[in-house]
Amino acid sequence: MSATDDQADVERVLAGDIPAFEGIVRRWQGPLINLAYRFCRDRGRAEEMAQEAFLRAYRGLGQWRRDAVFSTWLFALATNLYRSELRRIPARTVSLDDIAEPADARASDGGFEDQDRDLVVRRAVGALPAKYREALILFYFHDMDVTTAAQSLGLPEGTVKARLFRGRELLRGKLPQLLAVPRLKEA
Amino acid sequence: MSRLIRHEEDEMNRILSREDEILPSSGFAVSVMDAVRREAAAPPPIPFPWKRAVPGLVVAGLAAVLVLAAGVVAIGQLVRASTSAQFPTFLSLPPLMPPIFHGGMESAAGWTVLALLVTFVSVKLTMRLAFGRA
Repeated sequence: MSATDDQADVERVLAGDIPAFEGIVRRWQGPLINLAYRFCRDRGRAEEMAQEAFLRAYRGLGQWRRDAVFSTWLFALATNLYRSELRRIPARTVSLDDIAEPADARASDGGFEDQDRDLVVRRAVGALPAKYREALILFYFHDMDVTTAAQSLGLPEGTVKARLFRGRELLRGKLPQLLAVPRLKEA
Repeated sequence: MSRLIRHEEDEMNRILSREDEILPSSGFAVSVMDAVRREAAAPPPIPFPWKRAVPGLVVAGLAAVLVLAAGVVAIGQLVRASTSAQFPTFLSLPPLMPPIFHGGMESAAGWTVLALLVTFVSVKLTMRLAFGRA
């Protein structure tokens, strides 16, 4: 994905060449849908939210200042929209207190199912208070890059780091056994 | 202890980094572009007619300020009268009422006619602004 391609397409769209927007859509549809999916955990809703994000991007193309990379602007816009949407209609989650660890974290063969563990941890992330959940989602979505996550959230890096720390603390407190058990399959 | 926390953090990073990617449905880009074309084809929103609205807003604002000021003055007078008077406060109310209540029937009728006239002009003006373009 090239920043120059984005810039060229934006210039063309702003000059009245509307079909040029399709280049932007095709380049960024995957990331925007996946980001939305991490927020709502619903494939259909993720596509709807991503479509709305593209529409808003189209309406606001003129507001993109060239001092930031186009993708940074696009992710910030999409993140803002997804957060508002989730505040309006929250995703179906369970309370953090209702998330139970498996009674015995190890399965009968001595290890335990990665899929189950992953599912429980992701559910626990989904049940976190919004500000910690959003920081964690953006951090992992951007390959653990705090700077980019902070740009997407429109927050200072220090705030994002603090929220990540607190979010991890909450998860660690809720799922101590699950996270502490060494992965025997790897051993 | 710190090794345990380190291990937990690694586990968390490993689990949360390993998200399955979902692929956009085949018609997604086409659907977005349809929405974008509809958006582009739609007429631009009609801007609010500030030029026409400003005089009315100014007059309404001034009237509100006047009413408020008159109310404050009246309440002040009422408080002063009630603290100084020997007899019940309702007896001192008439002089504190707005001028409209001081005159006789002719005065009240005049104010009523004026209010009706202002209402009529407001309605006509609103109708003209709303349907004048058609």
